[in-house]
Amino acid sequence: MRRRSTKQKNHPTFPLKLSELRQMLDSELINSQDLSFTVYKQANKKVAVFYIPYLVDQQKVEQLALQSLLDMQTEWTSDTILSEIPLALGKKDSDISSIIKKVTEGRICIYVEKENEAITYELAKSEKRGIEKAETESIVIGPQIALTESLASNLNVINMRVNIPDLAMERIDVGKRNPKETRMIYIQSIANETDVNTMRQRLSELEVDMIEDIHMLKQYILDSSFSVFPQYVSSELVDRSVYSLKEGKIVVLIEDSPLALIAPSTFFSFFESTEDRYFHWELSTFIRILRFIAAFVTILLTPMYVVATTFHFELIPSQLLVTLGESRAIVPFPPIIEVILLELIIELLREAGARLPTKVGQTIGIVGGVVVGTAAVQAGITSNILIILVTLSALASFSTPNYIMGNTIRLIRFPLIILAAYYGIIGLMFGICLLIIHLIRLQSLGRPYLAPLYPLRLADFNKVFFRLPEQYQGKRFLSYRLKDRRLFNRREATKKKDTY
Amino acid sequence: MKKTIQVPIHNQFRAFYMFFVIFSMQAGVGILGTPRIVFLEAGHDAWISIILTYLYVVILLMIMLYILRQYDNHDILGVQADLFGNFISKVIGTIYLVYFSLQLLSILVTYIEVIKVFVFPKSQSLILGLMLIIPVVYTLLGGLRVTIGVVFIFIFLTYWVLILLIEPLRQIDFLNFLPIMDRGISDIMRGVVANAYTFSGFEILFFIYPFVQGKDRMTKPIILGTSGISLLILLSTTIAIGFLSPDQLQRRIWPLLNLYKIQTSPIIERLDYVVIAEWMMVVLPKAILLMWCISYIAIRMYNFPKKASIYVFSIIILVCIPFFNEHFVIQKLIDSTKYIAYGLVYIYPLFLLPLVVIKKRVQRKKKGKNHANR
Repeated sequence: MRRRSTKQKNHPTFPLKLSELRQMLDSELINSQDLSFTVYKQANKKVAVFYIPYLVDQQKVEQLALQSLLDMQTEWTSDTILSEIPLALGKKDSDISSIIKKVTEGRICIYVEKENEAITYELAKSEKRGIEKAETESIVIGPQIALTESLASNLNVINMRVNIPDLAMERIDVGKRNPKETRMIYIQSIANETDVNTMRQRLSELEVDMIEDIHMLKQYILDSSFSVFPQYVSSELVDRSVYSLKEGKIVVLIEDSPLALIAPSTFFSFFESTEDRYFHWELSTFIRILRFIAAFVTILLTPMYVVATTFHFELIPSQLLVTLGESRAIVPFPPIIEVILLELIIELLREAGARLPTKVGQTIGIVGGVVVGTAAVQAGITSNILIILVTLSALASFSTPNYIMGNTIRLIRFPLIILAAYYGIIGLMFGICLLIIHLIRLQSLGRPYLAPLYPLRLADFNKVFFRLPEQYQGKRFLSYRLKDRRLFNRREATKKKDTY
Repeated sequence: MKKTIQVPIHNQFRAFYMFFVIFSMQAGVGILGTPRIVFLEAGHDAWISIILTYLYVVILLMIMLYILRQYDNHDILGVQADLFGNFISKVIGTIYLVYFSLQLLSILVTYIEVIKVFVFPKSQSLILGLMLIIPVVYTLLGGLRVTIGVVFIFIFLTYWVLILLIEPLRQIDFLNFLPIMDRGISDIMRGVVANAYTFSGFEILFFIYPFVQGKDRMTKPIILGTSGISLLILLSTTIAIGFLSPDQLQRRIWPLLNLYKIQTSPIIERLDYVVIAEWMMVVLPKAILLMWCISYIAIRMYNFPKKASIYVFSIIILVCIPFFNEHFVIQKLIDSTKYIAYGLVYIYPLFLLPLVVIKKRVQRKKKGKNHANR
């Protein structure tokens, strides 16, 4: 390392002959075979243009830089080139190592022989896909535009939708070896200042090598790293980000990631879908309550089966007990093995479905579900009723709008099943108590995870557990102590003003 | 030992939550057996005893609040130190510590006995104890805010089971209550005394007072809290007396659980199982608050480190649990707890009141004289 740095110090400096420059570039650049190095002549002046072809926009280089360079009537010097070429972002640079770095980042460099500095132009081209429909968070109605891997286009998309002057988009570069541009977006007049400061501090103090995706970033800045629960919502829907900004939350974007991180988040915000706001309020209240019931069912249904069949037959009414007994009569395993087996099969089907291409995945789902299920019952490995319960709880878990939360809920079922198998209803209760205590202990960006349930804010319930008609929701989420708590005047909004 | 306590803002909680603190502290396992215990003393006039106990508790709470309000952010240990000096304060503080430990042990042991009688006759006490202690420790390590949160949320998750008493309520025989005031004052007063164990718990006010935000708004939640739980005790006793015949009631140790056997639903046959499991969420808040008091006293008086105090006392109590296997041993434990409670909870504040009043008056006079001399 040391030797190399001393070697760099002994660099030849400008002014240089073009052949010397060429030699030096060849020795310094690791991928020098990719370098395109062309020399142009005008009268007694020589100019070298060099760049790495796959990093720059070739068309622009030819049309804007080379064409106008060759068409120049004046003599070639650094100053004239800078003023004549119709490109912004031209910069003079006299340090050779920084020029080399810039070339590897996708700039083109123009050097007039025996001048003291070279000119670099920003003409980088990054390949990206176009803006598409949201895939993982599918919704039926409402805008479906999703974020992409390009930070610039994401910033554009969000800024076009929130067109207010105090939308802050702070830039923080994260990563030591390979710094990535990260943007912390919030509305200054709404967002809580403490939250913004916390987030800024967490991002800027991050000691990491390199971050590939927002989910990696998320794991580095979690409040509690050992919790199984996701603590920040991440969404690919532009709509969700925009709505969260208006609610005073902070949105974090990182280069090369098609997802936005939204903080702070509550436990209940993982059960929200953007669609809820587009439906009529009665309907979305119903759907939201349905989702909570579904989560409850997912967690408790199979453990309750284990409890009832292992220890407490008395819990089941005699009519139902007969049916259950008949279906369990030929099963050779204790309930715990039966349940774990079937739950694992379901998880396998889900995982296989997620990994396979879409069309094959669907077939696997249906075939696997029907065939394996029926065969398992006929072979006498599981009971009919358990098949129904396991399928039901799997179905219920998929109704959670957030993919990560859905997986978490399915995961926490397994410890509960084991506890239920060893200590019956008391063990199950023990597990549930621990789970609730854990949820109460959690925080998201320093804010309580179970808000508004605890600390109790009844005024926020209409945002979380049910919905009111839109005109009645004149306040923002009070639990987060935002700077601006009111969205609009409710009394004005609820007046019907038709005069004709 | 410092008398005034400085509480950082993140450890304070709103006065509103005092409702839930008092409510869960007075709940616990006592409510399961109260109907029989009061009935044995006061007969079918037990409900009068309960109302009288409630009134006495309200008066006591007002007195306790009055005492605490004479000082500026003191807990009882600070008040004692001001009145009697450090040494006696430490002695009484230690009695409090022992009392809370016995209380905690007794509720855990009673609940474990209930589980053993109704659900798992052959299970290990130690493992059941572990299942109760782990959530307690886990909560307390999160700090006071988490503690209050657990108390608050568990209340909403448990008390719906009382709705299931609707069926026995409909089958009450009102003749069981007649004639009213048949048993005489002495029996009814003995019923009041018998209630001491069930109603104890509100003494936490003496310790948690410095942590409350907005102390002038505290009276209402406290009174409502104790009223709420007293109403539930009254209701369950009334239903038990009205539904069960005197002979049946005398023979059942936990009449409330027997009442749940009457209720059935299309999906669940034996609701008493569900109620016993749910009761864990009633026992836990009380156990958590008691453990909080224990560790608080240990930290404040003996300068224990916070985590160590929680671990040490949890382990001591856990080790004690297997020794209380027989019903009569548990009954003895409850009785001895009750005797300490008579003195410490029900009489001690009455004894403190005149002392505090006199001391404050003397201080005020001194101040007045000083002013006059100037």
